[in-house]
Amino acid sequence: MKLGKIFMNGIIKENPIFRLLLGMCPTLAVTTAAINGLGMGLATAAVLVGSNAVIALIKDLIPAKIRIPSFIVVIASFVTIIGMLMKAYLPALDKSLGLFIPLIVVNCIILARAESFASKNGVVSSIADGLGMGLGFTLALTILASIRELLGAGSIFGISVFGAGFEPALIMILPPGAFLTLGLLLGLLNKMTQKTQ
Amino acid sequence: MREIFKLAGILFVITAIAAVLLGFTNIATADKVAQQLEQENIDARMAALPIASEFKKVETPELENAIQTEFQIIEEVYEGISDNEVVGYTFKTVPKGYGGEIVLNVGISVDGKVTGIKVVNHSETPGLGAKATEDYFQDQYRDIPIDSPLEVVKTTPANENEIEAITGATVTTNGITDGVNISVDLYNELLK
Repeated sequence: MKLGKIFMNGIIKENPIFRLLLGMCPTLAVTTAAINGLGMGLATAAVLVGSNAVIALIKDLIPAKIRIPSFIVVIASFVTIIGMLMKAYLPALDKSLGLFIPLIVVNCIILARAESFASKNGVVSSIADGLGMGLGFTLALTILASIRELLGAGSIFGISVFGAGFEPALIMILPPGAFLTLGLLLGLLNKMTQKTQ
Repeated sequence: MREIFKLAGILFVITAIAAVLLGFTNIATADKVAQQLEQENIDARMAALPIASEFKKVETPELENAIQTEFQIIEEVYEGISDNEVVGYTFKTVPKGYGGEIVLNVGISVDGKVTGIKVVNHSETPGLGAKATEDYFQDQYRDIPIDSPLEVVKTTPANENEIEAITGATVTTNGITDGVNISVDLYNELLK
């Protein structure tokens, strides 16, 4: 499979949130503000690329019976390293993402790609897949978060859009709003792609 | 039998390599992280008590006793000094908010006023309680005389000791205001 195709697969055709419906927990919880969605997505993408690359590199050395614990050690190590780097060099972002950075370890997307792609493909393809899936995740998170922030707080990336007279729908930045927005987006995307078939 | 040893051996090698990399990264970042934390604390004290230029930690047995018995949500007290004179104190307070504990720095000057607050850490909801970190909210706590306790109101404040709650985040506002009031109590009891 060509690298470009692998990359675009993660963004459109098999977008981890809108198509594979993976990583729902951080998706719903972190998308209260556009910058949080973006930050979380990029941190996850960094872990994805790293773990996909390493797992593709050592896949032939890992017996099938212990592949899951091995993947998890690799993933957890990457997340911890990225967490430490963020605490040292990006403390503000680390603060706003809080608990969700260590929770990247159990983000299904990462283990799913390790198991279904990186353990069966070469290093370069796996990096392309990690990049595509990671950026697809980031795109979906940012879209979701932008909608919720716009309707729930009247701003986008912290910039007030509607002015002082706007009464935001607070429910949008609370959990019900997350489910509503995601559900409606999924329905909309399904409807749009249905027409073109 | 041999297979178990082989599997365990491979897992051991993987985890050993991971441990080395993690230890290395930890060593490389530990200083920077500690530095960030300390800078954050310094900034918080400066924001809460802007009239001071340096800070010294208060570590008397009376204070330790007070903290352990009555004032358990207060973690640290610093003297604020300007021109070799004590001009006030900062109190690192940890009241309960809506989503967990809020780490707060409260500044009280020696002429009996709350000089300001700085929210350092919190788990409040973005768009609601999280607004407590914004200037428009924290500025409400500047220059308030401490002769009567601060009260949270939901409308425009009529008196100096009234704080307007964040819309939809009364619990957060109450938590922070309680933290301020308890700091005032400690100040009145021990440091006046």
